[in-house]
Amino acid sequence: MSQNLHQAGVKLLNALSRHADLIMQVYLSGTLQEADSNAAVVDNLKKLGVFWRPEPGAPLRLKKAIRNLLEASLHDERNRQLDANIGSALASLKTLAQHYKEALHHHRYAEAQAHLNDLTEHVYGLTESLSNNVRLLFSRINNEFGYVASIDAKIRENELAQSQVSELLNQLEMFRFDELSEVAGGIRELRHLLVVALQQSFSRCTQELSIAQARLLELLGRFREFRGRTRLLKGFVLHMEQHPDFQPSSYVSHSQVPALFNIAAALLQPAAVDVNRVEHEQDLLQLVGRIKALGRSDKPRNEERVAQPIDVQQQASVELTDKAIHQAVEQYFCEVIDTGKRLTALEYFKKQSLEFDPEVWIYQVIGGYQGLPEEDRQYFELGTELEDHPIFSGNKIVRDVELGLR
Amino acid sequence: MMTEQGRVLERLLAGEFICEVSDEDGWRFLKQSANAETVNQYLSTLNRSLSSAADGQVFFAAYQSLGETERKALGSQFQEIAAGLMPLVEWLLLVQQSSGNDVPITQGSTLRSNELQTIIEDTPAFKEQLAKISRYRLFNSNSLEVVGQLNLVFKRLTELGYLIRPNPEKQIYIATGKVEYLYEVLRFIDETEALSLAEQAESAIQQGSLL
Repeated sequence: MSQNLHQAGVKLLNALSRHADLIMQVYLSGTLQEADSNAAVVDNLKKLGVFWRPEPGAPLRLKKAIRNLLEASLHDERNRQLDANIGSALASLKTLAQHYKEALHHHRYAEAQAHLNDLTEHVYGLTESLSNNVRLLFSRINNEFGYVASIDAKIRENELAQSQVSELLNQLEMFRFDELSEVAGGIRELRHLLVVALQQSFSRCTQELSIAQARLLELLGRFREFRGRTRLLKGFVLHMEQHPDFQPSSYVSHSQVPALFNIAAALLQPAAVDVNRVEHEQDLLQLVGRIKALGRSDKPRNEERVAQPIDVQQQASVELTDKAIHQAVEQYFCEVIDTGKRLTALEYFKKQSLEFDPEVWIYQVIGGYQGLPEEDRQYFELGTELEDHPIFSGNKIVRDVELGLR
Repeated sequence: MMTEQGRVLERLLAGEFICEVSDEDGWRFLKQSANAETVNQYLSTLNRSLSSAADGQVFFAAYQSLGETERKALGSQFQEIAAGLMPLVEWLLLVQQSSGNDVPITQGSTLRSNELQTIIEDTPAFKEQLAKISRYRLFNSNSLEVVGQLNLVFKRLTELGYLIRPNPEKQIYIATGKVEYLYEVLRFIDETEALSLAEQAESAIQQGSLL
C-alpha cells in the first residue's frame, strides 16, 4: 500500500516538474489557454488532479492545493485569503488524542503510534497555518498594499485585512487550554503537542496579531490622510476651473491675522568680515589666497592717451654731430696726399687750430685710417709715437700718430 | 563657535522655514519647549515671535505686534501665496499622478527629476500639463522642451524652499515641511471660505465613475 502511494506521489511530482513552465503560466495568469497547449499533457495533468474545470465550458484552473503550495513557498502576496478554521482543527485534534489514548489503553502500540504521528502532523499543520497567516498579513502591511495602485483600493485592502485580523483573533479565542490539558492528561507526548507546542504558537500569534492590528490602523490613518490631501488638491483645481476669478479674501487685513499667514519678512543680511578677529585669521587668509590676482586696476580716462589721427610725412634727415670731425679727418688725409709729406696728427691739429679734444682727434684719425678700404689703406702708413705707462710696465700710451704716403 | 540657538535664530530671522527635512537639528532644538521659549525671547526684541504650522512640522518667525509696515509686508506676502497656490497645486497633482503609486507629496517625499522627465515625455497629457504649469508667473518659463521646463520648475521650487537638493550632483529632491504648510493654507482657505473642496472632488469622482 505504502509502496503504491510512494510511486503515485513520485509520478505526480515528476509530472509537476516536467510541466513546470505550463503550471507556472497557469498560476500567474489564472486560467489555462487550452488552444495553445498540448492536449495530451493537459489531459495527463487533469487526471493527476493538477488542473480542474470548475464548470463545463469554463477554462481549466489550477487545483487549490497546488495553488496553495506555490503561494506558501513563493511567499506570494497575491494570496489574500486567510484560512482561519481553527475550531474544526481543534475538534479533530481532540478526536485524534482520544483515539491515541484508547489505543494506548488497549496496549495496541503500533496503532497508537500511527495516531500519534497523525496528531503531530495536525498540530504542526495548525501552528504552521497560524504563523503563515500572520506572515501573510505582515507581508501585505510591509509593502503598504503596493499591489493595488489607487489610495481608495489600498483603503479597501486595509479594511479587508483588519476584518481578517479580528476574525483570526476570534478564532484564537477558541483555544481552551484547560480542556486541552484535560484531554492530554498525564501522557508526556500528548502534553508536549497539545499544551506546549500549541501554547507557544498561540501566544506568538496573538502577540503578532496585535502588532499587525496596530500597524493596520496606523496605515489606514495614513491612507485616509493621503486621500484627504488628494481630494483637497483636486477639489481646489476643480474649484478654480469652475470659478476662475476666485480670490481668497485678504485675511491679513482682518484685525486678527491668522497665525498661518503671519510670516515675518527676512531681517538678517549677510554680516561683514571683521579683520581684527585673530581666530578668523586662518580662514580669511585662505579666502584671500583664493582671490585671483588680476592686477588690472581701472585707470581714469586720460584724454592724452586717446588714439589720435597720425600725420604720415617724410622724416627730416638727422644731422650727426660728429660730421665735423669726420670732415676734418678727411681734410687731414687730403693734406697728406697733396703735400706728399709726413705729417703728425697733432701738428695738423695745431696748424689748423681745430677745436676738438686732442685725444678724440687722435682716436678719430686712427679710426679713419682703420676705416679705409683695404686698397686705399695701402697708400698710407700710420706711425705711432708711443710712451711707456709710468706705473704699469708693458702698457704703451699713444701720444701722437704720424701719417705719410708709402 | 556658533551655538545651535544662534544658528536657529539666524535662519528664523532670514525668513526661512525650519522643518525636519531642511534642518533636522534645528527642528529638534525648537521641538523642546524650553529652547523654543528662549528663542522666542530673543525674537521678541525684534518684534518677532516663534510660530509653527502643520502640527508643529514647520517653524518660522512671525510678527509679534502688527503696525502699518508689518501689515503692508504681510499683505504683499499673502498676495504672493495666493498667486502661487494654483501652480503649486497643479504641480503637486502632476507629480502625484505621474509617480504611479497615487501617493501625494508630503514632507520627506523624494522626487527624482530624471525619472519624472521620462514619464512626462512619454505621456502627452502630462506634457501639456507641465507646459501649462511652467508658464505661470511663479515659474515663468519660456522653454519649449520638457527638460528645460522641468529644470526651471525644480530650481524655482528649491529657491522657494519647497524642495531641497541634498546632493548637488544628483537629480534627487526632497520635499520639505513647507509643502505641509501649503496643505495647511489650502485647508484654511477651504474652511474659511466654506468651499468644501473635498466634497467637490468626491462628487466629481463619483460622477466620473458613473460615466
